[in-house]
Amino acid sequence: MATPISASTASPTRTIPDDQIVARAVDLCKTYGQGDSRVVALDHINVEFQRGHMTAIMGPSGSGKSTLMHCMAGLDQPTGGQVFVEGLEVSSMNQRQLTQLRRKEIGFIFQSFNLVPTLNAEENIVLPLQIAHRPIDKDWFNTVVRVVGLEQRLRHRPSQLSGGQQQRVACARAMMERPSVIFADEPTGNLDSRSSREVLGFLRQSVEEFGQSIVMVTHDPRAASFADRVLVLADGSITMDMDHPSYDDILEVFANPDDDQFDTATANGEVAL
Amino acid sequence: MIRIGLRDARAHMGRFIMSIIAIMLGVSFVVGSFCFRDMLNNQVSQMMATNADADVYVRGATEQHNDKSIGTDSSSSSDSGASSSLTGNTSTTYNSINPNLAQTLSKIPGVAAASPSYMVSGLVLVGANGNARSSMGAPTLGIGVGPGNEWRSSTLTKGHWAEADNQIALTNEALDKSGLTVGDETTVVFGDGPHKVKVVGAFNTASSQAGATIIAIDPALAKSLSEQSTGKSNEVSQIGVYGSKTTPLDEQQQQQLADRINRDLPKSADAHAVTGDSVRDETTKSVQDQMGFVQPLILIFAIIALFVGSFIIANTFSMIVHDSMRGYALLRSVGASPLQIFMTVIIQALVLGLVGSVLGIALGWGMVRLIVAGLNAAGMPLTGAVDPSLTDMIVGLVVGLVVTIVGAAWPARTAALAPPIQAMNATVNPEKPVRARAIIGAVMTVLGACCWAFTWRLVNVDDPTPWKAVNDMTVGWPLGVGAALVVLGVIVMAPALVSPAQAVLGWIPSHLFPVTGRLATRNISRAKRRTANTATALFVGVAIVGCLAVVASSAKASVNSLVDTGFKGDFVAMNAANGQLTDEQVKAMEDVKGIDTAVPVSAVMGVTYNDSDPSLVMASDPSLFTKIFSPDTGDDEQQGDPVAALRDGDLVIGAQVAKNQDWKLGQTVTVRAKQVTVDEQATRQAQAQYQQHVQDQIMQVQQEAQRLAAQGDLQQAQAKAEEAQKIAEDAKHVDPMTLVKTRTDTVTKKLKIGAIITNSIYRTMAFVNNKVADELGTPQTHMTMVLYMIADKGADVASVQRKLQDAVKPYYVVNIMNRDEFKSTMATMINSILIILYALLALSIVIAIFGIVNTLALSVAERTKEIGLLRAIGTSNGQVRGMLGIEAAIISVFGTLLGIIVGISAGMVIRSTYANNGLTQLAIPWGELGVFLVLSIVVGLVASISPAHHALKQPVLDAVASE
Repeated sequence: MATPISASTASPTRTIPDDQIVARAVDLCKTYGQGDSRVVALDHINVEFQRGHMTAIMGPSGSGKSTLMHCMAGLDQPTGGQVFVEGLEVSSMNQRQLTQLRRKEIGFIFQSFNLVPTLNAEENIVLPLQIAHRPIDKDWFNTVVRVVGLEQRLRHRPSQLSGGQQQRVACARAMMERPSVIFADEPTGNLDSRSSREVLGFLRQSVEEFGQSIVMVTHDPRAASFADRVLVLADGSITMDMDHPSYDDILEVFANPDDDQFDTATANGEVAL
Repeated sequence: MIRIGLRDARAHMGRFIMSIIAIMLGVSFVVGSFCFRDMLNNQVSQMMATNADADVYVRGATEQHNDKSIGTDSSSSSDSGASSSLTGNTSTTYNSINPNLAQTLSKIPGVAAASPSYMVSGLVLVGANGNARSSMGAPTLGIGVGPGNEWRSSTLTKGHWAEADNQIALTNEALDKSGLTVGDETTVVFGDGPHKVKVVGAFNTASSQAGATIIAIDPALAKSLSEQSTGKSNEVSQIGVYGSKTTPLDEQQQQQLADRINRDLPKSADAHAVTGDSVRDETTKSVQDQMGFVQPLILIFAIIALFVGSFIIANTFSMIVHDSMRGYALLRSVGASPLQIFMTVIIQALVLGLVGSVLGIALGWGMVRLIVAGLNAAGMPLTGAVDPSLTDMIVGLVVGLVVTIVGAAWPARTAALAPPIQAMNATVNPEKPVRARAIIGAVMTVLGACCWAFTWRLVNVDDPTPWKAVNDMTVGWPLGVGAALVVLGVIVMAPALVSPAQAVLGWIPSHLFPVTGRLATRNISRAKRRTANTATALFVGVAIVGCLAVVASSAKASVNSLVDTGFKGDFVAMNAANGQLTDEQVKAMEDVKGIDTAVPVSAVMGVTYNDSDPSLVMASDPSLFTKIFSPDTGDDEQQGDPVAALRDGDLVIGAQVAKNQDWKLGQTVTVRAKQVTVDEQATRQAQAQYQQHVQDQIMQVQQEAQRLAAQGDLQQAQAKAEEAQKIAEDAKHVDPMTLVKTRTDTVTKKLKIGAIITNSIYRTMAFVNNKVADELGTPQTHMTMVLYMIADKGADVASVQRKLQDAVKPYYVVNIMNRDEFKSTMATMINSILIILYALLALSIVIAIFGIVNTLALSVAERTKEIGLLRAIGTSNGQVRGMLGIEAAIISVFGTLLGIIVGISAGMVIRSTYANNGLTQLAIPWGELGVFLVLSIVVGLVASISPAHHALKQPVLDAVASE
């Protein structure tokens, strides 16, 4: 199934060996609307995500970072181009295949936690496995629960947990199925800074200890600084690709909104219109 | 604001469809029921105006003490008044008067004609094809019409009225249906058997007769037939008086005529004249009271529909308000007042209510028209007006609007009162606890159960309380109040029952489908009130139908057990038309080869216990108890030997009679029978007197004529001579029967109570042997009601039955039943009642489906995110459908189970309350109830299809990313 990378990938991003690629976008386009009201959200993006890495996608509102993640995760249908996860072409999948993909290859963490209110923490964590009729690996469950520090809270309903605890449950749920890649959409967006640090710590830990691949959308430079790699989007294009940037590196990029890069990107966007 | 409301209403029309359908159904039932009642009332009054069209009626002046329907042979007569008060029979009766009074009346100035009207029921007309005509159980009536017995509302269209026993005239409608024409020979079966008759005339009546066949017969024949059937001669209940033979008098003229008649009526006649209108009003009212049960029954289902409708509307508006919260918050933040926001929602409700009500009125009207058309096609033409009156329409409209506004008020209030910021963040308020409702509901249910327990004691214990008024209370009251309390109590308590029901009902799906089953089960108790309300529609419908199903199958089982255990005969013969077997018919059956024993049971009419208590005294041979029914004298105490008692001429009474009369075994009681016999001597005298009187008159007029002739006034003399001739002629036409004088003898017998029997069919009867019966009554008052027969040992029962049927064929009306048919006569009737019930059940199911669909749609809308999440983490479409399907099925099974439990309890209470009236066996139709339950699962699954479709149409992205 694995398609060799086409030579025409005129990408500003670096090249990664094939077996290290967990997800990849090829010439990905997404536009909304028709005619005068046509908006380009993703403008021919080529990007590869490395296995066992945590990649952060940053950018201002409307830059297309969420759209990119949604297309990567098969939540949104791209207008053009292809998306591959583990060599499987997501962009051409039907509902049934998408369901199988979500069961096996993809995990999600959302900004608003999105736990099932009628189930307790433990039930929420094992829910994806039960839905997929897969056996529950008790040791792995214990490991995950220990990592997120929820041993004492397993019998509680979401309404009885704090926001940080709820997001930890969501993290555990995503890690439980050991997916190829976890997509996290602003996972710290609704949390205070202490809870944010904790949650990001777990994510970091799961990357380092268990080799989990994570793609995280965020506009918080602090969160991005936990990542191995930070991509910056503006007006539907990747404008920067930073390897293990420090918090200050990231701040610097956003501290200069009049920077050339942003101007160019804006001009490109207008041309695309 | 009004414009915003109207625009919103237009935008939401798609969502309103379900609410509109619910309101439409509810309103159509309300309007339909009123319309149907009006139509029936109208039909009844029209028929009254046609069939009782006299301007003035003269009837007895003394009111009869009658709270227990004297004179009818109903078995309820001794049943502590329960059944009569249940049917609301409140008509007053008066003493009967002598029909000869008609002659006195016709001499009163202003009276154009006066005649007693004789009506005979239970006739059978044989059609042109040789088969007896019957049409949907509508009766065939014989009415005496002819010169001297005019019927103003009828018009003769061909031929003439019947002038002899062997002539009849028929309505054109009856002619059409029977295929007969004027001049044809046919057969009419009267009480005493079939008679060859000739159709001599055709006529029309002013209104349709609702399927009844009217046979106009010779008045003299009508009189003798009606005397035969009542056992009373020369007694009528009323005499009709016409002020004009062509046009009806108006009310004032009627009153004037009645006053004049009252002035001239002899005191001795014990009679009183009243206007025709007042009599018609009374009769119409009593008929309408008897039909009155139809409307409440329809209204119950209207209430279910409207109840479900109101919370469908509440749910719909909750969804709309939920979705429009941001818009309202915007309006609020730019300065709209809460009242203005409230009004934008209420205006939408008004539009919805208006559309639903108008459609409902149209539908209700259509339904009644359809019913009338159906009855017409089935041979029951109705001429009553079927169009709803303005009042009906206004009632429908008001009901529809009120229900809609009540349903929309709470969501509208939520919309109006939410602070702008909170509205922007649309949070779901946690549900209020349901403990208060649990307590109130439980108290109501327990009170209801106490009422039922009290009902049971009232029936089974002699004096349950020290208060006489309470002890004399009819059982219908506590029974009904108890049922109402239990049903309302369960409705109030239902939200508190959701959690236990979730645990019990969810057990199977949670184990069969570990994920979807558990999710669905837990969702049930998220909005307990909503779940309970949704289930209530099914609960009420199933409770009503379940209760009646228990009663019906108990009735069936009781009859079957009666036949299976008690009845030893092979055949039962009865007269299908008028309940009376003639001696000739009995003889014909007894003579059939293969019949070993034939035991007739006859009723002795006009017998009273003590002084005035009416009774049902039957006469039979002791062989009734030895060969046909084994007498049941109770288990606990010796209640005499019925066989010996009948043989010895003692009285055998049913247990209910013993209880009501407070009679004990061995006691001697007084039984009176009124015998009316022709007093031959007095009759001869009366005839002689009349002859003499006529002779005198003629003599006088002739003398006058001679005197005038002598004076030379030939013309006058001629006139007088003609007058004399006319008098002679008139005298010939006078019905000799009117000169028959009768004598009323009262036979009083002291009878010893020889046995008390508890066989359920005989509980309200008393038996004497045939010899005692002959002493008590005349042949006219002693009528064979039923003939039980046993075939020869070893004879082929089927072939004997064929022979019996051949033997009674010439009589048309005798119905021979073998044991199975005897059982199934009851079963057939019950089954047809059940069909109507199941139609009503189907209706409440349809309404319930709307309710479930709506509730699910609302909860799907509220759980958009959650469902999106489930799908994002790998839930397949099938699993989402399954989850919603299980959720819906649990709601509907919950409602159905509550309904079945309450229905069975109510059915059992009713059964034991009326055990003495023949409901001896309790039978719970588990099969049918099981079908209800399975059906309810299907209902839930069907109801979940559309909400699941909506849930899946929503893209996963929208569901999880809607921040």
